[in-house]
Amino acid sequence: MSELVKISKTQFENVFQCEFNDGTVRLCTKNLAPGFSVYGERLFKVEGIEYREWNAFRSKLGGAILKGLKQNPIVKGTKVLYLGAASGTTPSHVSDIVELEGKVYGVEFSPRVVREFLLVAQHRPNLFPILADARFPQYYRTLVEDVDVLYVDIAQPDETDIAIYNAKFFLKNGGYMMMAIKARSIDVTKEPTEIYEMEVNKLKENNFDVIQVIQLDPYDKDHAMVLAKYKGK
Amino acid sequence: MKVYIVEHAIGSFAYDEQGKLIDFVLSSKDLGKVVDSLLDNEKGIPLPTTIELIQKIKPEEVVVENEAEIPNLQQLGVKASYEIHNLGSRIFRESLPKIAIETKFASSENDLYSFLYEVSFEYTRRKLRTAASKRDLLAIQAIRAIDDIDKTINLFSERLREWYSIHFPELNKLVEDHELYASIVSKFGHRDEITNTGLDEIGVNKDLSTKILDASKKSIGADITDVDIRSIKMLSDTILELFRIRSELTDYVESVMKEVAPNVTALVGPTLGARLLSLAGSLEDLAKMPASTIQVLGAEKALFRALRKGGKPPKHGVIFQYPAIHTSPRWQRGKIARALAAKLAIAARIDAFSGRFIGDKLNEELKKRIEEIKTKYAQPPPRKPQEQKRKEEERKGKKGGREKRKGRR
Ligand SMILES: C[S@@+](CC[C@H](N)C(=O)[O-])C[C@H]1O[C@@H](n2cnc3c(N)ncnc32)[C@H](O)[C@@H]1O
Repeated sequence: MSELVKISKTQFENVFQCEFNDGTVRLCTKNLAPGFSVYGERLFKVEGIEYREWNAFRSKLGGAILKGLKQNPIVKGTKVLYLGAASGTTPSHVSDIVELEGKVYGVEFSPRVVREFLLVAQHRPNLFPILADARFPQYYRTLVEDVDVLYVDIAQPDETDIAIYNAKFFLKNGGYMMMAIKARSIDVTKEPTEIYEMEVNKLKENNFDVIQVIQLDPYDKDHAMVLAKYKGK
Repeated sequence: MKVYIVEHAIGSFAYDEQGKLIDFVLSSKDLGKVVDSLLDNEKGIPLPTTIELIQKIKPEEVVVENEAEIPNLQQLGVKASYEIHNLGSRIFRESLPKIAIETKFASSENDLYSFLYEVSFEYTRRKLRTAASKRDLLAIQAIRAIDDIDKTINLFSERLREWYSIHFPELNKLVEDHELYASIVSKFGHRDEITNTGLDEIGVNKDLSTKILDASKKSIGADITDVDIRSIKMLSDTILELFRIRSELTDYVESVMKEVAPNVTALVGPTLGARLLSLAGSLEDLAKMPASTIQVLGAEKALFRALRKGGKPPKHGVIFQYPAIHTSPRWQRGKIARALAAKLAIAARIDAFSGRFIGDKLNEELKKRIEEIKTKYAQPPPRKPQEQKRKEEERKGKKGGREKRKGRR
């Protein structure tokens, strides 16, 4: 197996880059739950600090960073509402990045994957697992607070509407939204780029400044990540 | 007067039209109660704290965020409407930690967030429970696998110690912990490869580190080749892998147990809880048992022997592992075991048939009962003459005494 030769900072806080002796370069984060690997990713220790490899093929946020995300609103101390937490792959890296000062409220509605998500959250005091449908924020309003970042990855046809509705509830003025768009789940008959534009326009009509749209291939085919800033309600 | 009522796991808060907090009612810190009321709220029932708040301030009109509550609020005799993200909720959710501290719900941010963490877990598990079936059987198999692994670890570790002692016999006494012993063998192999920094990396303290290094230099063990070491390392690597699997399984058992049997788990922890399920056969079987059976679960051998021979029945089975039992003086143990078994019987029934969480309450009551036992029976009871005689016999090393000890495990 390849060995780690160098670890360095990236332009984003708490996102690192590791180089291996076979020449490969990967993203990684500092492990908030040392000793625990979440989805089989490699762990390695450098000067007493444990890092976790961040597989961009398994995480759209990882993919977006490698595909040239201009600005990462998720930093140490950020509060995040994460819709579509699934089994916790990306949420675990977000939890690493925001550290204990930050909070990640992870909403997921499929019982099967939530069980896995609980195992991840069990070792991460900043990760709050919430089994609920993102269509009904009035139900989980009792468990969360306003957040700096709304991260949305629910692969639903009406994802953008759900995201906007949640932003009204919980996103701070001046906060950011990151939304992964899966073209196929919105409309199979249209070209992906056409769909991205449609969804982006919806955001603009609802008080968002769209900063960047990143196509995620080859990490995710026909997916894009939108970064937008909320001008307020 | 129109007020905005914000509902949250920490309580209900009333804001006036200027956005000023006029009054509030905090929720209790009983996890089960809080989660019950949050789930009820999804069905349109106002939080109990909301009802109390409305009765306290008697507003003419309230604005909430959950549309489903409106009919129920109107029954309280107030005008009610809903508006998402209204003035009140905006102010509240913008500064949740500050408000939690100012209203003395929490003593610090940490305090608040660890409460919310617990609540979101219990809320989620509670919802999972309704979707669960036969998950208790998964926990049972997992705990049995852990027991198998423990046996294997012991067996392999004994072998490893004997084997590696040919090369470095002094290490056996110095390191009693099997995992640490295997780590040392796997990491260094030959005893003269052992270094201070290397030992530090696997968490050996300075003192022990010095002793190990010292012993490695003066060892009377035989020299062995790389090929010999490679074979020994295969065994130590396997032991370490077993430890890793054990810790993952332990985690898994904890998660499944908190989902399927939260009240039993709250009382005795996931491992002992799973052992009880395992001995009973299933959660439902445990729920059907009387407390007196639960008390001796796992001591069947001793129980049947007592029935057969007419001796003293055992006072506790596997629940002996519960710290307050085995750390208490002998004469208190049976009483504590009985108190615990009574609570376990209630816990198992609720887990099997309703899924509500009352673990906090059960624990509280049990703690109180144990205190009572400790004060009331602080002194050992005077020995009965007959017992005196038996004790003497035991001292003389008669067979009866040994058997009794074995049965009590
Ligand atoms: C593509 S996966 C998310 C992967 C995850 N973000 C990651 O990177 O690790 C989409 C998830 O959204 C969940 N989901 C879909 N609709 C939802 C809804 N209305 N509310 C909550 N979760 C939803 C699905 O169950 C699925 O687990």
